[in-house]
Amino acid sequence: MHLHTSCSPVNPDPQSLPAAVEFRDVTVVRGGVHILDGVTATVPRGGCTAIVGPNGAGKSTLLLTLLGELPYSGRIHLDVAEGRPRVGYVPQRLEFDRGLPMTVEEFMSMGSQRIPLWFGCRKKSRDRAQQLLASVRADGLAQRQLGALSGGEVQRVLLALALQQDPELLILDEPAAGVDFQGELLFCELLEGLRRNRGFTQLMVSHDLSTVTHHASHVICLNRCVAAEGSPQDVLTPQNLAAVFGVHMGLVDRSSMPDQAASCSATCCDHDQDH
Amino acid sequence: MTLIATLSEFIGWLLPFECMQDRFMQQAMLGLVLLAPMAAAMGVQVVNFRMAFFADAISHSAFAGVAIGLLFSLDPQWTMPLFAILVGLAIMAAQRRSALSSDTIIGVSFSAVMAFGIAVVSRDSGMRRQIDQFVFGDILTIDDTGLLCLIALFAALLAFQAFSYNRLLYVGLNPVLAKAHCVHVAVYQYLYVGLLSLVVIFAVWIVGVLLVTALLVVPAAAARCMARTAGGMFWWAIIVSVSSAIIGLLISAQPWADTATGATVILVAFGWFTVSAAVSAVRA
Repeated sequence: MHLHTSCSPVNPDPQSLPAAVEFRDVTVVRGGVHILDGVTATVPRGGCTAIVGPNGAGKSTLLLTLLGELPYSGRIHLDVAEGRPRVGYVPQRLEFDRGLPMTVEEFMSMGSQRIPLWFGCRKKSRDRAQQLLASVRADGLAQRQLGALSGGEVQRVLLALALQQDPELLILDEPAAGVDFQGELLFCELLEGLRRNRGFTQLMVSHDLSTVTHHASHVICLNRCVAAEGSPQDVLTPQNLAAVFGVHMGLVDRSSMPDQAASCSATCCDHDQDH
Repeated sequence: MTLIATLSEFIGWLLPFECMQDRFMQQAMLGLVLLAPMAAAMGVQVVNFRMAFFADAISHSAFAGVAIGLLFSLDPQWTMPLFAILVGLAIMAAQRRSALSSDTIIGVSFSAVMAFGIAVVSRDSGMRRQIDQFVFGDILTIDDTGLLCLIALFAALLAFQAFSYNRLLYVGLNPVLAKAHCVHVAVYQYLYVGLLSLVVIFAVWIVGVLLVTALLVVPAAAARCMARTAGGMFWWAIIVSVSSAIIGLLISAQPWADTATGATVILVAFGWFTVSAAVSAVRA
């Protein structure tokens, strides 16, 4: 990752702030196949950027290159306040060993506590875990076994773990996969509130266009290269969707998207979105 | 070697059995109670990382290590651990880079080092004893130098485990997530593999190549069934492993038993595992 340190003055207009992430001509080739081909895109600071595209479009690959997990050509520029970028990551479905005996509290402490867990969780990490779990509405889970959690609970605990990094950039890969509709609404609502309070930049991959229309402030439409980029109402047009997904996606009702920000009548969208 | 002598006498006093009054038995017990907790602690991560096959490959490289010693007229006591570390680090590096699945990489390395060992050793007809010791191990041949090395390794391993236990859990759960959250995954992985190679080589010496994986995996597996927390898992693995080592050696020394020590230790540990699996089933 190319890191850059900058001290930009506080500016109320997000458009003039430097982008949180810039992809410049990012190409990933594996086994002779171009998985990403010259991707140039921007993730505006402070907003919620969604990457959409069909299966095999390279959405998760783009996140993995950003995390430094895959070799690529081109440039990825992370603009951070100072030092190392603070990144929080919520993977698609944590493939973990459910037979591992571990409490949620230990899960929250394994990255932050230096004293080995042989001696239990220290009071400090216990309090911090409690606080973070409360912020994702998972207060009651601290003593539960990690392997016994439902898909939605795992997702919230993973979000708490990512928030422990005090992230400037929160990266989510299909946050709603494996979660029922009600759980998805709650999760989106939760993220909205957290983003408003903590002021991080949110970057997520989603295959669910209704989630995107309701929550994203910026959309990158990806199909190995960037097919379209901009605000949801500019990008999620029937023409673009037909071009990228290959069929007409009747999911997006543009009339539900007023002027600047995407919005809807769902409980999670009761409040105004970030600009 | 006064340290070893003192420790041996202490063991003789601690376990006032008739069979424990011989110096070689005291040294054997000392070797086992040093090795058992190390194998148990590293075994917790072997199970978390699903590295049982990896450990098996390292243990089989011991034979090639002996062969290299023979070829270059070097003491196999040193070529064995050095070669094992080399093989362990090479497999880890290949796993991190290659597109091949990790069991394929291990399978290839495993057969290559084994074939090399057999090819070299088969030229020498006087090597039968070496092969026997490689296969079955011999706790009674452990000498003062070996014990001192074990003590040094014990100290290094304790420091490593105390420093890394929490982060190794992170890496074991999901390395991509750990790395994104600022854990130095590669450093932990290479350090772990280097130390694991050394523990495995000592285990080959003491229980033989056939039982090394058992010594690593069985206590950790029993601990998984017994424990409800990641911290508790560590203590259960140590308890199972050390108690099996002590009981196993005592049984094997009884005239009515007269069994191979390594095998007896593993059988006791397996007894523990059966009990723990039953406990876990009752709980569920």
